Amino acid sequence: MSEGYHIVVCAGIVPDPLQTLQPVQTPTGWGLKNEMMLPAVLDPWAAHALYEAAHLAKKTPGSKVYLVSLAPKAKLQQVMMTVAQKAAFELVPVDGPASGFTEAFEVASALYEAIMGIAGLDRNKLLLFGGWESASRGAGSTLQILGEMLQIHDQFQGVDECTVNPDGSLQILERVEGGNHQVSVCKGPPVVLGWATGNLPEPPNNPQIGMSNMRTIMPALQKAKTAKIGADGVFFGSVELPKQLRQTRVVKDAQVDEIAREILEWIRK
Amino acid sequence: MTNETLSVDRQEIAVDIACVGFGPATAGFLTTLSQTLMNSDGSPAIESRVMPGAPLQVVCYERADDVGFAVSGVVTRARAIRTTFPALNLQDIPLATAVSREELVYLLDPIGASRRPWYMRFADKTIRALRRILPYEKEALRLPYIPPFLRKDDGLLLSLGQFHQWVASQLLASGLVQIWPGTPVAEPLIEGDSVKGVRLADQGVTKDGTPTESFMPGMDILADLVVVGDGPVGPVGRKLEEKFGGSKPSHLNEWAVGMKMVVDLPENCTLPEGTVIHTFGFPEPEIFGFLYVYRDRVASLGIFVPSWFQNPVRSAYRYLQHWMLHPYLWQHLEGGTLRSWGAKSLKESGKLGEPELIGNGFARIGEGSGSTNVLTGSGVDEAWLTGALLAQAVIQLAKNGQTFSKENLEKTYLKLRRGSWLETEATIAQHARNGFHWGFFSGLLGMSLAGFTHGMLHFPRRKKNHRMPSLEEFFKNRIAPEEIAQIRKECYAKGKSLHDALMTKAGWPEIPFDNKLLVSHQDALLLGGKVQAPDSYADHVLFLYPELCDACGVKLCAEMCSGQAITPNPNGGRPNFDREKCVHCGACLWNCTQAQPTDPDKTAVEFRAGAGGLHSAEN
Amino acid sequence: METILVVLNVDENGNLSKHALETVSAGVKLSKGLSSPFTVGIVGPKPELAAELIGGCGATHFLGVSAEAFQIPRYVTDSVLIENLANKSQATLILAPGSSRWNRVLPGVAHRLGGRADLHVGELKVAEGKLSITKWYYRQRMEAVLQRAHRPWCLGLDSGADAPWQGERGQVSVEILDIPINPAEIRTQVQGAKSPSTSEQTIRPDAELLFVAGAGWTKKQADGQAHPDRAAELILRFLQLSGASLGGSKSLVDLSSEGQSVLPFMTHLNQVGQTGATPRHPKGLATCCHGEEPHVVGWRFINERRAVNLDPNCGWAHGKADVLYVADAFQVMERLNALLEQEKQSK
Repeated sequence: MSEGYHIVVCAGIVPDPLQTLQPVQTPTGWGLKNEMMLPAVLDPWAAHALYEAAHLAKKTPGSKVYLVSLAPKAKLQQVMMTVAQKAAFELVPVDGPASGFTEAFEVASALYEAIMGIAGLDRNKLLLFGGWESASRGAGSTLQILGEMLQIHDQFQGVDECTVNPDGSLQILERVEGGNHQVSVCKGPPVVLGWATGNLPEPPNNPQIGMSNMRTIMPALQKAKTAKIGADGVFFGSVELPKQLRQTRVVKDAQVDEIAREILEWIRK
Repeated sequence: MTNETLSVDRQEIAVDIACVGFGPATAGFLTTLSQTLMNSDGSPAIESRVMPGAPLQVVCYERADDVGFAVSGVVTRARAIRTTFPALNLQDIPLATAVSREELVYLLDPIGASRRPWYMRFADKTIRALRRILPYEKEALRLPYIPPFLRKDDGLLLSLGQFHQWVASQLLASGLVQIWPGTPVAEPLIEGDSVKGVRLADQGVTKDGTPTESFMPGMDILADLVVVGDGPVGPVGRKLEEKFGGSKPSHLNEWAVGMKMVVDLPENCTLPEGTVIHTFGFPEPEIFGFLYVYRDRVASLGIFVPSWFQNPVRSAYRYLQHWMLHPYLWQHLEGGTLRSWGAKSLKESGKLGEPELIGNGFARIGEGSGSTNVLTGSGVDEAWLTGALLAQAVIQLAKNGQTFSKENLEKTYLKLRRGSWLETEATIAQHARNGFHWGFFSGLLGMSLAGFTHGMLHFPRRKKNHRMPSLEEFFKNRIAPEEIAQIRKECYAKGKSLHDALMTKAGWPEIPFDNKLLVSHQDALLLGGKVQAPDSYADHVLFLYPELCDACGVKLCAEMCSGQAITPNPNGGRPNFDREKCVHCGACLWNCTQAQPTDPDKTAVEFRAGAGGLHSAEN
Repeated sequence: METILVVLNVDENGNLSKHALETVSAGVKLSKGLSSPFTVGIVGPKPELAAELIGGCGATHFLGVSAEAFQIPRYVTDSVLIENLANKSQATLILAPGSSRWNRVLPGVAHRLGGRADLHVGELKVAEGKLSITKWYYRQRMEAVLQRAHRPWCLGLDSGADAPWQGERGQVSVEILDIPINPAEIRTQVQGAKSPSTSEQTIRPDAELLFVAGAGWTKKQADGQAHPDRAAELILRFLQLSGASLGGSKSLVDLSSEGQSVLPFMTHLNQVGQTGATPRHPKGLATCCHGEEPHVVGWRFINERRAVNLDPNCGWAHGKADVLYVADAFQVMERLNALLEQEKQSK
């Protein structure tokens, strides 16, 4: 594939993983308490997809990476300042809610519109990347629906590795049960890859990449179209935090031997 | 270049202005600057030198992982902030609230463990005896009068984190400046007597700095002007002080650790929105506290543990909990929930701690430039003003095609700063805290003297700073030396600091954890601070002389550590450092009791540029 | 009136997995609760045999797909498979085990059918003739109960949502569907499964016990030195002796994946927690791990929990574990291994 790929990475934003989250009812449906105050990050699985995309694009000359993201513009802008130094990409933003309580179908529709609006995007070079699950919706649905909308029927989820064979076909490792990987070979683009963690570490911050990305990110954000996203047809009965507090017995000052025996007994019980 | 690692092949990029640290000062600088960078017809008002035809290229590098991860409970008159934003609408900034009422409260000691001089014990007794006729409530005396220099009548309560997010969001949307969080700056690039830019911290290294396969040398950012706003413990500011001089060494000892929480107040809490409570007297006479009530029943509260509190185990966290449990405060807090937690060092030397503010190619702004007013206890608005003034100077120089030389900055920035209210008030305040060197009562008296006489009268500075007493001296008559020895032995063997055990022994009750607001120190880190440290950078806290650490009897670095990131090493030598718990408060830097053999004005701890820290945007 | 379709696949031994039988139970429950007919669609080389196993489940109809192209998990064929089963059965509710195979395809096929999908569905509840499902949001940090208006509604059920169906076998008639597919549309060939290298085979989903290692194993110990080699030795020996499955905290997994000399067998696959896995084991033992909230959300399905940690105030102490042993994990595990060795020898 000498001409390279067009890698479209779909990535939402989610609250920074360590934040304390609490569901609340808002005039527009369920949301998170103080949602706009919570610091956000790129959805972790999708962030891996972005790193994999950047890596693949670097290895395949002529490739281009697009980051398509549906999120409140101001939040996305802030997240971009931590992401833009990591990998070279062109941002395709859509201004809308990042809540997990919105419907995957509606999100996919907005992403579809955005992707169809990318000038010069070649379906024959298209690799649609994303995370295999979203950290907000807690499931991996959007990418599959988007793939269907784009009529891509070679879809893979829980991907940890994608290598390009000499004949241009793609060898893909997906996570399956039992800690195993399913190995598939697909003839080539267009494909949908929902990434798990992959094997790449988070790239370092590169100020040069950041500055170069920024030349297109800010104008793109300024022009971002607004999408109305809700959860049509979904009726939430309740949204609650789990209450799982146990009565913890804290064993202090016990001899190691005693502890080991107690644990063994417990294991064998 | 004077920097060591010349052999490494470093990439360079050139900008017009590089800012170090995104705090209120840099926010003021960037906001003021960006308001004038473009003409109304869309053409650049000031053209870039490095990118001709484009507007001035301005970048800002911030160590923390997000622009909103700042720490400060802010009550401010916001004079400078309101000048920049004349149409400021508080509803636009989450948590921002107008001050509605102020209280200054003396807290009595309800448990008898506080280390009080005789006159305070006498005062407590007298107040209790006269409680029916005094404004007394729950072991506290509300002072009927708040001196004008302490009042914040027309002021605002801000969450610095949310304020930063709000400012940064507008700055970024303008597309005129770039702010890069998660990007620590290692040092200034100094050539002769000029600063030529900054060097970013190396990535892809092990904790001890050894390059790994993914080594990426920190890039050199060449800039015509380096704006240094990296706060009181920032490595760039400190390097500049080494090179170009700074505050007098005696002022190195003027610090405090501020530790705070943001709390969801219980539903039955009746404190009105906009309430400001300032406390003194408890848990120890030297410790001051604050509680601000934002809208939606959220409070920002905390304490300051100053350097003149000569306690070799001055743990801010445990004291913070005892302070919250004081009946006067606990009546409002009981049933509340911790939302956020954080800590930072405050440079308390004010104008006396002012470093060289300008030089060829650099200017210093904000707290690190000595802008904090130690009399009014105000720093954010002052820092903002320094940034705004520098921006005015930069615009003037750039429009006239003049360079950012020391001479030109002196005629502009320095002149503006010296002529501002900041300077007038800082001069009044500069000796206001001298009294605390002599004692608690003289401290209060000194503040009043300086405040009421506009700085004409004040206590003299104490010539020599107190040597930190040993544990045995400090706990004399309260804990026997043998007991201290036993506690030391037991704690050090477990790699634990001593303060908890010693405080308990000295009569402080155990904290009744409720898993909501009263939580363990580590839970405060995780639930409140959400502390994280990215991989691939070197450790930023170094203990330079293991033999000094070994000989150190108090290990104040570990005792004072805001995140329990530093712990005593059971085998002696250097303490252990776990950066995944470090909140970058920098307290270790100034709390270390050991002087460097080659430079007695420096402590044996090196605090370098490092990434990570708090991940909370509400502090 | 709903019409239910339960989609199942036959495992390599011709059986229905526990997860598949749980899905049958869910179908039976819904059929009764909603008074709706239900169809079972089975894909396998001999769907009749599998259908016999659940012959007594009360399904009104059995459909089978035995063509070779549909035997392997692959989006293009699986989506056509469900599409055809759904059309044939006129299903409004489509249930499948939430395995990697069906989760891959359910949302896309739901869209193709004009419906909606939910994955990681916990409990199915019927009240007042309507189906509600429970589902976790924000990586298991909050649980929602929801209903949907759109049909068909495809549901990927999490394992453990229902008890496996246990009923009479029975002769049933299975209608074998011949689903046309254009070979040119098949652009993906599945080459098989790849097991992790031997050293990684420390994940045992069926193990009774989950052993979780935290970053504390790599930290400096009482002698001021880190002992990652000793830690690795102790942990691997314990896993061999106890047959436990291995999990790790994020901080430990991150350290390992950086290539630092920590625990060489620890990979992201082992990560338990908010950004990792939520394994199901009856018991879990956490060692040198702080029990932080983001990690503990991954313990949602671990029934009995014990922890060994030096910090009596760690997260485990605060209602997250049943027992917290405040002790040095190196010493405890060494002793525990010795006891397990003794036990092994005496057998």
